[in-house]
Amino acid sequence: MHPKERRLDGTRRDFLLRSGGAALSLSSISGILAACSNSTTAGTAGTGAGGWPLGPGGIPLARPTHPVKMKRWEAPIASGMKPETGGTFTIFNYPAYIDPAVIKEFGKKYDVTVKVTPFDDITTGVTKLASGTVSPDVTEMTPDLLSRVVAGKLVKPLNLDYIPNLKNVWSGFQSPYYDVESRYGVPYTVYSTGIAYRTDQVKEDIPNLKPNGWDMFWHAQAYKGKTALLSEVRETIAMALLHRGITDLNTEDAKLVNRAVKDLQELYNICNIKVGDLQYETVPENKAWLNQAWSGDMMAAYFYYLPTKATGKLLRFWNPGYGKGPIGNDMWCVCSTTKKPVLAHLFLNYMLDNGVGYKNFVDFNGYQPPLNEIEPDTLVSKGVIPDNLASCVLTEQDFGPKALQEMTLTTAGQSLWQDGYATFQSGA
Amino acid sequence: MYPRWLWPLSALPGVVWLLILFLLPFYAVVAVAFGSVDPILLTAVPAWNPLNWNAGWVTHVLHLLVPGNIYWDVFVRTCEYVVLSLAGCVLIGYPVAYYIARHASRTKSLMLILLVLPFWISYLMRMLAWINLLSPGGYGLQFLSATGISSALYHLGLISDPNNYLGGQSFTVILALIYGYIPYFILPLYASLDRIDRSHLEAARDLGASPFRAFWHVTLPLSKTGLLGGAVLITLPMFGDYYTPNIVSGAPSTSMIGNQIDLYFHGGPQPTIGAAITILLSAFLMILMGYYMWTIHRASREVRA
Repeated sequence: MHPKERRLDGTRRDFLLRSGGAALSLSSISGILAACSNSTTAGTAGTGAGGWPLGPGGIPLARPTHPVKMKRWEAPIASGMKPETGGTFTIFNYPAYIDPAVIKEFGKKYDVTVKVTPFDDITTGVTKLASGTVSPDVTEMTPDLLSRVVAGKLVKPLNLDYIPNLKNVWSGFQSPYYDVESRYGVPYTVYSTGIAYRTDQVKEDIPNLKPNGWDMFWHAQAYKGKTALLSEVRETIAMALLHRGITDLNTEDAKLVNRAVKDLQELYNICNIKVGDLQYETVPENKAWLNQAWSGDMMAAYFYYLPTKATGKLLRFWNPGYGKGPIGNDMWCVCSTTKKPVLAHLFLNYMLDNGVGYKNFVDFNGYQPPLNEIEPDTLVSKGVIPDNLASCVLTEQDFGPKALQEMTLTTAGQSLWQDGYATFQSGA
Repeated sequence: MYPRWLWPLSALPGVVWLLILFLLPFYAVVAVAFGSVDPILLTAVPAWNPLNWNAGWVTHVLHLLVPGNIYWDVFVRTCEYVVLSLAGCVLIGYPVAYYIARHASRTKSLMLILLVLPFWISYLMRMLAWINLLSPGGYGLQFLSATGISSALYHLGLISDPNNYLGGQSFTVILALIYGYIPYFILPLYASLDRIDRSHLEAARDLGASPFRAFWHVTLPLSKTGLLGGAVLITLPMFGDYYTPNIVSGAPSTSMIGNQIDLYFHGGPQPTIGAAITILLSAFLMILMGYYMWTIHRASREVRA
């Protein structure tokens, strides 16, 4: 799961769609058929130069200490072409993760009908792209899956001549370590992972807990049945690793991962831990008091889900801080299936426009774009974000070289983490 | 005279339907379970040809299904939930079906409409409604508290928190399963009870049987196929259910085997495990189905005799 699943409409609609199709697990065949695809040629190799592990298609695993410049698998489109007009332009994205007014304006500007095709989460989105069941023009993407979709030739290399607005984003995102020279994608939103809580229910001073705020979950006896973690393989286990003081969130050390899982299993008895992705709704509505959450969740909660205005003052988001908690970002990529490649590039450029990015953020999305013009301090001082949720706002410094980001694992590493999460989720 | 081929031909659409929408997809699941995974995109690569099957994933899951390993606990929990939910459906559903079939002469149509009414609303929507009813301040929770039901359930040890039904409680999951599936149980049972020839009961009473003995020795045995039909109809989907515990609980401590299938199919490098769990669960369910088929077969043989 992913931050974008936070919105009520999207999540429930998404859930209904998903569940409707797979109402009975035994007959949830369509998903399986969709998951079946032709095998691609090259797989995950072992190690590359200097013994550095390789990921999908032999692309080295990107880390801040090991930036990766991916080869362009085809030449980008030529510069100076006119955008295609007419017909339908399809955006492949989480449900309700882009302002309808923003995309309507884009359609009007370029004389196209813009359609959003939603996916459950980004991994199933990639599966759909790979199976050919969808053929969008642009897709939302995450850095940890980028090398996979590049190796699978599901996204096209970019011609940055069409995306001058890339200069508007934080410098670290103009040539990020996972995609040096922004050859395949541009940033969309940023977020951090922390703990959302209510001050009227949770009495502990989470930011000052020792050894760290994550420890709160292991002292949540008083909040039994009101405590939840994100329903996400990487985030859940990463939280348990951080609880132990381990900051390598991409470890493939089975001992560390298994110990983290055992730590998570302790939470059954401590607080009958729940998992889910409705924290933007459940925390303001008093259904959950203590919830692992993404920073954008609490902004969305403040913008849309407050039952009363007073509730807004009760909400808090513990942001672990630079180098102490996970950060992440979303991207836009141009799909290989596009029949409007120029327009697809222009869409990426459009989303990086300062005005469009800001409008999408505060009018609808709640997730912050990494635009230079959006000054975190002014968001609070102008009252867009309340003081008590100032910790939800991120700065470029949060994405410095020591930032902790869950990135691509080897296939064996992914299996290790998935099995660990399955063990935790089994309640055994 | 109709030509001999007419009736077999009329069954053709149903057969084609079954082939396309059940057998082929089911074979796809089998092919995925015995297949491999694309090394780049991590999508399932089904082994359509049985000669190319790789049994590794299935044996791996079988190993994890033995006591002491992770799937054992969740499988046992699933069985417990299904059995308790089925018991609940029988206890609640049988009297309802019996009443409609035997005593609701004037109101029968109305009762049947009321029975069908839940089908007008999506299962998921009905479940989601309970979220609001049982939330803090919800009418359902207020009612349960005001009537002392919550307190009674708490003192009986059925719930661990009388004010938080949605806090990961097995009781809530079982109740939700009963609530969600009971209409599917009552309808076939009603049909079965309604078909019982009243002269059988009259004969029993004439021979001196008390109402209870008449019920026990005549009605209950004659409604056995309806009972089993309803039971099969609800237990099969219950075993694969994952959204009910997701909606009303969300706690790993109440997860079912369907949640594991969902997890592995939902993304990641091991869709094969999801498929392997599915076919092993299907194999288990075939045992239940086999008993049902045997009972039906025996009943129809008795009727012919």
